[in-house]
Amino acid sequence: MNVAVIPALNEATRIAAVVKAAQPYVDRVVVVDDGSSDGTGDAARAAGAFVLRHPENCGAGAATMTGIEAARRMGATNIVTLDADEQHDPKDMPALLAALATGVDVVFANRFGQCNNIPPIRRVFNGIGNIVTLAATGMWISDSQCGYKAFGPKAVQELKLRMNGFEFCTEIVRETVQRKWTYTQVPVKVLYSEYTLAKGQSFANGVKTALKILLRSFLR
Amino acid sequence: MTITPYQIVAPLLSLVAILYAWSLFKRDRKTLWEVVLWALFWGALAAIAMFPRLLTYLTIATGIRSQANAVIVTAIGILTFLMFSVIVRLEELSQRYSKIMRVLALREADLEDKRPK
Repeated sequence: MNVAVIPALNEATRIAAVVKAAQPYVDRVVVVDDGSSDGTGDAARAAGAFVLRHPENCGAGAATMTGIEAARRMGATNIVTLDADEQHDPKDMPALLAALATGVDVVFANRFGQCNNIPPIRRVFNGIGNIVTLAATGMWISDSQCGYKAFGPKAVQELKLRMNGFEFCTEIVRETVQRKWTYTQVPVKVLYSEYTLAKGQSFANGVKTALKILLRSFLR
Repeated sequence: MTITPYQIVAPLLSLVAILYAWSLFKRDRKTLWEVVLWALFWGALAAIAMFPRLLTYLTIATGIRSQANAVIVTAIGILTFLMFSVIVRLEELSQRYSKIMRVLALREADLEDKRPK
């Protein structure tokens, strides 16, 4: 069974469209409402998603792990994670699932693998994120900070995220190293809009995330 | 050359720290890369303790000129390390909080883990 996991915070205006766009490619769509105050959970449920709700906001990493845990208990064999802000195109899901079918454990989407219109500042931030991830894990992933990923049966069973915030993307790379998962990278489309750009991480938050990642890798 | 107790204790402490990291690696709790980072940090600390003259290369940048200064710098390093440890502990508390939120969310969705603990 293929399950899509979508962590969401205050995305009531977008989540229904993302759920409906993902449904044709997976058996179930799980949305984790991470303490939203705008009815995100209700909108997702109305669109046909299975909704879990954190009573309080815990962060993107914690919400993703809740979704993965729920999918496991539903009997998922493959899981695809994607953002709730329409940045990721669900039409790329078949490519991610096809890569899993070749036997790899994890598929990392790569927004820089094709001609996407990505603002230069985003490219710089993502490059820094990749370098921090390399320093923390010893593994180079072309788009380490992208939330669009697919996990095969082995990774679905073994994945355990501890980090609550955006550091979870780097933690997944670390898990790949630690658990010796096989992986591949697949180019995907990215849909940036004024909305998604405004919702992105601030520079200060990015620095904080980078420091946390490095500190965690050292003190773990 | 006079060997101070500090020059014996610091390398021993570093050795224990590196062996601890290695044991974490053997128990699959640290990656090899993390052990390397850890060993570099503690190795440098031990090297500076044993061969304070190494710091002369850093004199211009740091102003450290004597063994006494090296001890102070090491103490600051250890305090910084302890502070980071406290930050990590706080983070662990936050992770426990998230776990509780997760259990509540799964329970509310009728996906509670019913396996015996």
